[in-house]
Amino acid sequence: MDRKLLRKLDFALLALVGVLLIFGLVMVYSATQSGVHHDPQDPLASLKRQLRWCLVGLCAMGLLLGLDYRVLEKYARLLYGATVIGLALVWVLGLRAGGSQRWLRLGGFSFQPSEFAKIVVIISLARYLSEREEPDWESLRELVGPFAYVGLPTILVLLQPDLGSALVFVGILFGMLAIAGAKLRHLAGIVAAGLLGTVFLVLLAGQGYYPLLKEYQIKRLMVFINPYSDKMGAGWNVIQSMIAVGSGGFFGKGLLAGSQVQLNFLPAHHTDFIFSVVGEELGFIGAFTLLVLYYLLLRRGVKIIAAAKDEFGRLIAAGVVSMLLFHIAINVGMTLGLAPVTGIPLPFISYGGSSLITNLIGIGLLLNVYMRRQKINF
Amino acid sequence: MPKLSWLAIKKRITLLMIIVALSAVGLAGRLAYIQLVKHSFYLAKGLEQRLRPIPIDAYRGTIRDANGEVLAESRSAAAVFAIPIEVKDPQGTALKLAPILDLDYDFLYQRLTKRSAAEWLKKRMSDEEARRVTELELPGIGVVENPVRHYPMGSIAPQILGLVGVDNQGLEGIELYYDKELRGTPGRLLVERDASGRQIPHGVQQYIPPVDGYDLTLTIDHNIQRIAQREVERAVAETGSRKGLIMIMNPKTGAILAAAQVPTYDITNHQAYPPENRRLMAVTDPYEPGSSFKAVTAAAALEEGVASLNRSFFDPGYMIVSGWRIKCWNRGGHGPQTFVQTLENSCNPVYATLGIELGAERFYDYMMRFGLGKRLGLDFPGEAPGKIRPPGPDVPLVTWANIGFGQGLMVTPMQLLCAFAAIANGGKLMRPYLVEEIRDRSGKLIKKTEPQVIRQVVSKETADITRMMLRSVVARGSGKRAEAPGYPVAGKTGTAQLVEGGRYSHSKVASSFVGFAPADDPVMAGTLVLWEPGGAFYGGIIAAPVFSRLVAQVLPAMGVKPQPTKRTSGQHVVEVRLPSLRGYSVEEAQRTLTQMGLLTSVMGGGDQVLAQVPAEGAEVPRGTRVILYTDPLAVLEEGLIAPLTAEANWPSILPQLP
Repeated sequence: MDRKLLRKLDFALLALVGVLLIFGLVMVYSATQSGVHHDPQDPLASLKRQLRWCLVGLCAMGLLLGLDYRVLEKYARLLYGATVIGLALVWVLGLRAGGSQRWLRLGGFSFQPSEFAKIVVIISLARYLSEREEPDWESLRELVGPFAYVGLPTILVLLQPDLGSALVFVGILFGMLAIAGAKLRHLAGIVAAGLLGTVFLVLLAGQGYYPLLKEYQIKRLMVFINPYSDKMGAGWNVIQSMIAVGSGGFFGKGLLAGSQVQLNFLPAHHTDFIFSVVGEELGFIGAFTLLVLYYLLLRRGVKIIAAAKDEFGRLIAAGVVSMLLFHIAINVGMTLGLAPVTGIPLPFISYGGSSLITNLIGIGLLLNVYMRRQKINF
Repeated sequence: MPKLSWLAIKKRITLLMIIVALSAVGLAGRLAYIQLVKHSFYLAKGLEQRLRPIPIDAYRGTIRDANGEVLAESRSAAAVFAIPIEVKDPQGTALKLAPILDLDYDFLYQRLTKRSAAEWLKKRMSDEEARRVTELELPGIGVVENPVRHYPMGSIAPQILGLVGVDNQGLEGIELYYDKELRGTPGRLLVERDASGRQIPHGVQQYIPPVDGYDLTLTIDHNIQRIAQREVERAVAETGSRKGLIMIMNPKTGAILAAAQVPTYDITNHQAYPPENRRLMAVTDPYEPGSSFKAVTAAAALEEGVASLNRSFFDPGYMIVSGWRIKCWNRGGHGPQTFVQTLENSCNPVYATLGIELGAERFYDYMMRFGLGKRLGLDFPGEAPGKIRPPGPDVPLVTWANIGFGQGLMVTPMQLLCAFAAIANGGKLMRPYLVEEIRDRSGKLIKKTEPQVIRQVVSKETADITRMMLRSVVARGSGKRAEAPGYPVAGKTGTAQLVEGGRYSHSKVASSFVGFAPADDPVMAGTLVLWEPGGAFYGGIIAAPVFSRLVAQVLPAMGVKPQPTKRTSGQHVVEVRLPSLRGYSVEEAQRTLTQMGLLTSVMGGGDQVLAQVPAEGAEVPRGTRVILYTDPLAVLEEGLIAPLTAEANWPSILPQLP
């Protein structure tokens, strides 16, 4: 890699990611010092693991920079095939955790193929869309290909079941289609139809029928409308999360001092609900700062979309931005009672290796596209 | 179609930027709303779910008698509890505590290792036990003061008071009926806990003091209660009865002054007695009243004009009602009688006739108006309604004839007492009550019971005539022995056969006396019921003298001065002791008594004396009239136990209970 290329690196984005990673390590530390995730033998065990994954992710990101992203176009089909097989393998011989089967063990490591699948879907959809010479966006038929492309892994993820990741795939699909030039009214129409369909499913569930979605997923949708309808069950997480965030106030209760977190009222507080920990312990100041960091990160991402040299790069950047945006919006929205509980992690902050490494690879793609940008700037 | 132009792409990218910005603004806005606007709401919600209240019993109100004497009050006693999660060494702790608390090791160990926030180990400990437990300073073991019921005057009217449970809750009686008032509002010790219930070190602790319960003043007078209890115990012992009760009330107000009974129990040591002894029989146990009910029939007949003081009656000794033969206990019949004499003689055919003449509807209506067969609304749990068959096509005429003289209906002793009290009170039926007033701990009046007229049952005139008739029963008739020196008594005896296996028993009766005194201005009304009196030929006749003794003690206790009578005017009285005349021929008996300077009356047409009144061994002044019973039905009527040989002569009219 020549120095000229390195000089074109997006240092602002890199700095933002660095700050987020440190932020995340601090929060993981605070969230694992008591209760179920606390290991009295080694209180720092979780933090150390997270740090290790952080380094692995950063290495992967660095390695990716040396490779021109356009090379990926050639391997897109291969990666896609491997990923679909991987997801299918999860279904066949995956590890179960918390009612769903999301993990695959490889050597000494277990990982979630659905996380890495997000990157692969971005790359292969970018290849597919950029190779279309004369797309006829006026026709809905033009959307069949992309939908089928993303649909296959989405269905496999949905089968695990992992509704959150499946939604992220849909988010990536729509974001990339929009940048590729699909008719916005088509996309809006499909979103509207999807929402109507969900409402229909909830109504059916009210009558005791559960087609497509599992009962617990419908329940989550219902408690999203009214968390107190199942206070001790599906609504518990949301209620506890909002109590955590709300009781944090402006300045927060301080690290290790959040009673919702440290007294175990808040479940999954080091993973999916880590934003609630930020809200409770660091208050509005901390949580707002985190939102600002995310905003700046996504702003850099959008700039990179505009700066991309070719359509393939542009679509890859659009995919990564869509993925991050979707993760952040759904996760933070969930902790604030704005989105249903779907169980997806908060990028760079939540404890968990697969998600962290995937996001860092995504950042690597963004940096890669930016490094090899056009001369004209956006 | 070609790919999008750069301009179009730029538009799309701008749109994406807008979406990112809108998302950021939306999330930040929501964050600000929850953290800044709703901060105190969520702060309180969080604290609320961490605070687990430990209830602290309130001081339970004191119960006093009508004179202000304390019958029941709460005093504190030590209680020891464990917080299992804080107990370091359950085995050792249980071993140390077992001998001090006199509790089983296994029991203690099981409590100490239970998955709960707190466990009581022992309540009502002695101070010594408490001191020794405190000295051990065991982790997770604590001693607190808990209120316990105390009875400074001993066991006075225990059925009325009722027991209080270990958790300070009323279980029975007044303690249960007025539990809400007595209990107060428990206080709380709020202790901050985590999601699994563990106490948080240095967490919030907040003490919300309990609000003391209200004090009650009863209508019960402990002096009268003691008299009643003594007399009922004596009567039951002397007659060999299975059980008995006395209830006394103020006829003008409905206030219950005493309710004594055998069997009873010691409220300070209730475990030693069977639980049925805790029932207030006068309120919960309906019985068949027998002849005393005739007062109700008389009042109804007078009010309806079916009978009057001027109407004369003729009793041939029996009557036939739809095929049933109703015999008078006096075999030859009472012959011509005035209305007053029918009650004095307790003449069954006359009252059967009155029942029929009143007719089912009217008669039933009067019983309802007298408060019989339904609850009177006593402020006490478990009041029984009794049972009177409502009129209907399936109820035969003979039912109303039988009810006319007190058979074939079930009422509680208190209901009949209230009906008599209404007669004594100018026809006004008063709601019976037990609690005079409710005050808070500082003495402020919360509620005072005002006497409540349920209804004017019959006119004052009718009530007064009936009252005079009942006075006459005691002055001249079958209730003579109820007369108390200095106090004119009015009332009526009653004897009813008990039902055994769906049929009337030949040997088991309930004997009673219901009455009031002084007859001209009654201030007390009372009832005495004795179940299954035994003994050779003693029986329910003892009910009347018990009432006499009751009046002679209760009225002075109420401050009513005796009226001067012949007996107390200083005349010299020679008393003689009565021999047993049972088995004598009528002539022999009459000759013996005349030689002793006594007068005789023969009841019934038989040749042999079956029973006598007054009884054998009684000391009576010369000139006393001794009644010789020769007819088994008469013996039954007066509650005397008939000899078994007379069984062939038992009345054949015994109807089945409805």
